[in-house]
Amino acid sequence: MDDLLPKLLSFPQHPPPTTPLTDTQYDEGIRAQITAVKSLSDSKLLVHTSSGESVLDFINPAINTVPYAFTLLATINALQKGSKNSKAENLWDKMTGFLANFDPRQIRYLGSELNMIIETVVELAHRSGQSGAAVAPVSGALLRYDPTGGMLTSKHLVLVKLALSSRQWADAIPTLDKPILYFPTLHKPPKSKLLCNMANSPNAYITSDGGFSRKLKYHEILEYFLYRGMIYIGTRNWKKAYQSLEDAFTFPTKEGAVSKIQIDAYKKWILVGLLLEGKMLGLPKVTGSGPAKAFHIIAKPYEAVAQIFESGTAARLKAEVDTGNVIWQHDCNMGLILLVLAAYQKNQIRNLATIYTKMSIQEVHTSTTSAETGARLPNVQATETLVRSMIAEGSLHATLSAPPNLVLSFSLVGQVLSEPQFQRELAASTTQIKALTDEVKHTDHMLTHEKDYIKWLQKQKKSGKSITDPGVGGMDMDWNGDGDDEDLMAGAY
Amino acid sequence: MTGTQNPPSSPTQSRSKKTLLVTGRTRLERLLHIGICSTFLGVDALKLAVKEAKCNKDTKRYIQAQGHLQTIGPNEPEARRDQGWIEATDKKNQAETNRLQTELNGYKHNLIKESIRMGNEDLGKQYQAMGDLPKASEAFSRMRQDISVSKHIIDVSLHLIEVAAEQKAWITVTSNVQKIRGILSSSDEDKSILPYLQAAEALASFDNGDYRNAAILFLGIDTGLGSTAATIISPNDVAIYGGLCALASMDRNELQKKVLENSSFRTYLELEPQIRRAIAFFVNSRYTACLSVLEAYQADYLLDIYLQKHIEEIYHMVRSKSIVQYFIPFSCVTLDSLNKAFAAPGKNIDKELAMMIQNHELNARINTIDKLLEAVPSNPRTELQRGALQITDDYAREARRRIMHMNASMGDLEVKGKRGAGHNNMGLSEDLFGESVGRELRSRGGG
Repeated sequence: MDDLLPKLLSFPQHPPPTTPLTDTQYDEGIRAQITAVKSLSDSKLLVHTSSGESVLDFINPAINTVPYAFTLLATINALQKGSKNSKAENLWDKMTGFLANFDPRQIRYLGSELNMIIETVVELAHRSGQSGAAVAPVSGALLRYDPTGGMLTSKHLVLVKLALSSRQWADAIPTLDKPILYFPTLHKPPKSKLLCNMANSPNAYITSDGGFSRKLKYHEILEYFLYRGMIYIGTRNWKKAYQSLEDAFTFPTKEGAVSKIQIDAYKKWILVGLLLEGKMLGLPKVTGSGPAKAFHIIAKPYEAVAQIFESGTAARLKAEVDTGNVIWQHDCNMGLILLVLAAYQKNQIRNLATIYTKMSIQEVHTSTTSAETGARLPNVQATETLVRSMIAEGSLHATLSAPPNLVLSFSLVGQVLSEPQFQRELAASTTQIKALTDEVKHTDHMLTHEKDYIKWLQKQKKSGKSITDPGVGGMDMDWNGDGDDEDLMAGAY
Repeated sequence: MTGTQNPPSSPTQSRSKKTLLVTGRTRLERLLHIGICSTFLGVDALKLAVKEAKCNKDTKRYIQAQGHLQTIGPNEPEARRDQGWIEATDKKNQAETNRLQTELNGYKHNLIKESIRMGNEDLGKQYQAMGDLPKASEAFSRMRQDISVSKHIIDVSLHLIEVAAEQKAWITVTSNVQKIRGILSSSDEDKSILPYLQAAEALASFDNGDYRNAAILFLGIDTGLGSTAATIISPNDVAIYGGLCALASMDRNELQKKVLENSSFRTYLELEPQIRRAIAFFVNSRYTACLSVLEAYQADYLLDIYLQKHIEEIYHMVRSKSIVQYFIPFSCVTLDSLNKAFAAPGKNIDKELAMMIQNHELNARINTIDKLLEAVPSNPRTELQRGALQITDDYAREARRRIMHMNASMGDLEVKGKRGAGHNNMGLSEDLFGESVGRELRSRGGG
């Protein structure tokens, strides 16, 4: 083994050379090393060093990611074949250690290997009945592999299913928070784009034939958005849930087709919208007309509930919910429906703030009703508890005076941002928009290199028509909006 | 039969007298309306109506008026049905119609255009008098085929307006008004029908509930309406309808300029001084006085054939406007003073205020502890900040979504229906969440 070590550790050089390698040199070096390590048999990699350590104990995954990954795979293979050389729990630590520490540059050459390791982690967790334990490592690995998080891979799907079934929501959130922009395609990166170029966007190194993720089907994408929405529902993050569900049912469709997943997402979206805004908001403009029609027909009971929630009485809402019991249960939305019922009175109390500045708790008690029972709360104390809990969780901007005469005073302006706070927020959104502009350019570039587009261009040229297609700029999004935003800021200071 | 609306207990006699200012069929109709709606004036009005009906040819109307009178005043001499008159009139009507019809056929045979036109006109008038309005309107429309001078076009349209106004077919009224307007010359004779046209159009807007437009039209009626429009509307009506519409839809400056300082409308207002008073009170910010004037005349207005339907809404609008105007100069007003100004004694307007705030008519908040109505402090800076952040957020989200959608369509990932399944199942694609675990997962997420 000892003689092998220098070979394994040959790349990257340690300590790093004073002048960093160019991308081309790096590419050559790492490819050579991968070929070399691959040529070694598993048994050789598993041989212990003279001091009795395994290779995995000896090398650092953060620096020598390539040999570590291959040795790990060799260990896994050996274990599956029933060799007694390694122990399972030891392997678990090694794998999670690797997932948390691998070098983000080297790993780009190891898509299929990373895939295998993640699969094994998930399977191992599953077999030991603690699937939740795999959520954090997988989520971390995905973010480490693609820090922008904009590429949806088949591993994301594994992650959401894992998180949902184990209810380990919190660990998955950092990965889920990243907005999805790209999907794996067959598209081969041009030669000039080396895998190791860290400036590349994820679709340069995550492709459907790269071994890490297969090409997704549309229903898998929809499932991801739906499950992601459900995880946010689990964490009570209504805004994110709302947006994620919206992503699912606004997904582009062809010839008016609608997926059942989209309809499910729409049903949940209505209920979440009630919890978030207290009313049903219109469909986003991007929704196709075909799907919109289907939504309105199939999700009618939900829309009815939303309408009553907005303008009906508590008793009617309760009656409507009771009659629809079978529907909610069949759609597995009972939990959300119960939350909606509970939210009705809270919403009423919040609406009081648009009419009153100050009122006694007694008046709050008499002017609101609970939709859970369809009647007023049993006593004023119950109302007081409800109001206090709302103030505590920040959903009601108001103060309650001290007993005995309890007076609720609503704050008129709501939350006010302090100047530095506002500046920070503005700066954040400026960088966000700037980053977006890059993504827009990138997409525009990809679109202009699309096969179909080029074919179309050729056709146009042949027929001698002038080309007026403006590409991305032609969508009805006003990219000049950028400038406007900056103007706004200039005015604000 | 009494009390289709809450019958006002003691309307002044003036309304029923004013009804007599109109002529023709609308007079009978208005009398009938008062007879049905008022317990106080009902008998008198119906007696008049019966008398009026007997001078005309419309037996259906007679039976109607007499029937109502029989219910509420069976002892009146007019309450007995004059069967002999009905039969005689019916017979006479029939004979007259037949005669006109034969004459018309004769004209048609001889192809004398002018005679055909006049034959149709006579027939239309006959039908109108008999109360057969659809046939009347049909006959008048037939006149159009034999028109030779533009005066005839005006005649046709005037007839049609009259019939349509009785039928409350306001679209016909406005379209005929436009037709006449298009061909009017500047001769004095033509000019004299302008107020009539304007009044008809205004009435159409008013009955459609478009108060703002109606107000502008009423206010634009030139002097000299006189009795030219007596078959549909009296000058007093112009003053009342126009004044109320203006009060409901205009602000104080507009009222001052367009109503009180409007010399042509003043001649109408002089006929109904209480409307003038109400508007003047409103302009001078004496809202309580204004409302009490209106209140005093509400019973009268409820008996008006057109106003009855609208009076509640108009009063509500005036009232809300008064409250809003009253509150404008203050940042905070005690509820007591509002009650004193607007509520009936012993009642309070808390509920009404809450309603108005909810409908965004009044930008204020109620403080039930200190009994105050407080203005909402505006904070444009915070609003701007919040707006700016909201815009960037929305923009970023929309841009991301579009990028994603473009990438989806580039990768050919759109949702596709099964081929041929298209129309039967609304293009639902047959995906059932792949594996059985899906259902289980969904239920957990829902909880």
